[in-house]
Amino acid sequence: MTYLWLSLVFVALAAVVGVACVRKGASSSEARQHWKAAGLAFGALAVLTATFDSVMIGMELFHYDASHILGLKIGLAPVEDFAYPLAGVLVLPGLWVWLTRGRKPVQRRYLKGLIPQALLASRPISWINTAYPFAAAMFLTTREVDWVLVVGTLYFLIPYNLAMYGINDVFDYASDLQNPRKGGIEGALLQPRLHRPMLWLAAITNVPFLVVLALAGSPAAWLSIAVSAFAVVAYSVAGLRFKERPVLDSLTSSTHFVSPAVVALTLAGAEMTPGLLILLAAFFLWGMAAHAFGAVQDIEPDRQANIASIATVFGARRTVRLAVVLWLVAGLAMLATPWPGPLAAAIAVPYIANCAPWWNVTDTTAGRTNTAWRRFIWLNYGSGFLVTLILILQWNLTS
Amino acid sequence: MGIVYLAALLTGTVCMLMLDHRFRLFFWRDARAAAIVTGVGILSLLGWDLAGIGLGIFLRGEGAIATGVMLGPQLPLEEPVFLLFLVLCTMVLYTGARRILGRSSRLPHESARRPEDRRLEGRPPDDQRLEKKNV
Repeated sequence: MTYLWLSLVFVALAAVVGVACVRKGASSSEARQHWKAAGLAFGALAVLTATFDSVMIGMELFHYDASHILGLKIGLAPVEDFAYPLAGVLVLPGLWVWLTRGRKPVQRRYLKGLIPQALLASRPISWINTAYPFAAAMFLTTREVDWVLVVGTLYFLIPYNLAMYGINDVFDYASDLQNPRKGGIEGALLQPRLHRPMLWLAAITNVPFLVVLALAGSPAAWLSIAVSAFAVVAYSVAGLRFKERPVLDSLTSSTHFVSPAVVALTLAGAEMTPGLLILLAAFFLWGMAAHAFGAVQDIEPDRQANIASIATVFGARRTVRLAVVLWLVAGLAMLATPWPGPLAAAIAVPYIANCAPWWNVTDTTAGRTNTAWRRFIWLNYGSGFLVTLILILQWNLTS
Repeated sequence: MGIVYLAALLTGTVCMLMLDHRFRLFFWRDARAAAIVTGVGILSLLGWDLAGIGLGIFLRGEGAIATGVMLGPQLPLEEPVFLLFLVLCTMVLYTGARRILGRSSRLPHESARRPEDRRLEGRPPDDQRLEKKNV
């Protein structure tokens, strides 16, 4: 079966690239002729393959490990060998059509700019915030780099963020329009023509990863993966819009960052000790505080666009104070974890210090907390550094 | 005997290039694009080969008609040449099929052929030349 799977991977890749090239490089009538010609070419190649592959195998030029092939043969040629010409006709003529497209009237490119826009929308600066909790939790539990770790880390690095922020930007378009903050480091306005493609891109890049990760885990992992994916969608999708339901917005946002770690722990089959649960709770409080504080700067645009958030309901001052308290409780909670967990309590200090100057902020000056929010993004990198040191210490203590 | 397979592959490759030259199909139509397609084709198929070798699927034979020169574990010298031939054969078949399909769909109004089509082919249609020969 190995050869079949290998072949399917390459054929699928060839098909994707081939179709993409033809869509970009040919009009619909040309595309019809293209696929007809590709079909004819494959017919001829299949006959040639059946003949000459049999001759080559008969001459003992090469052979196959019998345990890796299906055993189904045409002449002496294993059926999997026909994947080579199939992949060839799927991709190469398409590439040719695309490369020589200048000779035809150029089709309007509907999807132009989708990928760069999607990457910008996915906040590359924050990718690490979801990939790291997954990778760290997984690595510390299994103590090895296996394929689940690699696949999961890749998933929480890019596709997960692409879905989270991509869906968000599609459904936030109206309010984002009034917010000058959404053009650079913290996200991008998404052109309406890219809304539907963006949702498709999110689905296509996420579903395969979710399925593969689910296959690798137990029912507990399925549950955590489902919660994680639901939180991503429910946060901003029309109808649910958890981001516009005060308090639920902070809870969901924090789930975005804590759930990758929980998914990793369930996938790795970690034992849920009290210390681990306290750590996850502290992380969750940290995430809630981060969301609540981030919402303060948007109070004015949100209210203008008639959007509710934890900050518009509580008001700027109470929200800032709530964030400080949540960070404080998160730090104190870490003191209750086994060594070296208490060291992490120190990480709460810079967050509190960054946020405390706005202890007496008003709704009218709420926009100025953006200064602290920008620092917050960089603080996370520093915290990640400290967390890594503590985790290395933990690794050494337990090995 | 050891050179037979390689010689056969090279002969096949030359035949494909002759067809290409004769009908202005691939390299003789757009050399740059053809070079890119050929390069991409050979490299990806070679990647596929290496993956198969890595997984222990493909095993080199001890065939008497092969040179026995190895580029890597289980990867004989002939393999990249075979892949070159496969790519050329694929593209000659494809571009040839498109030429034929394009012609038959234009037959009812042959006179409507755009001049650039002639220029791309570089010579008058074959049927005209055959007629001249017969006269």
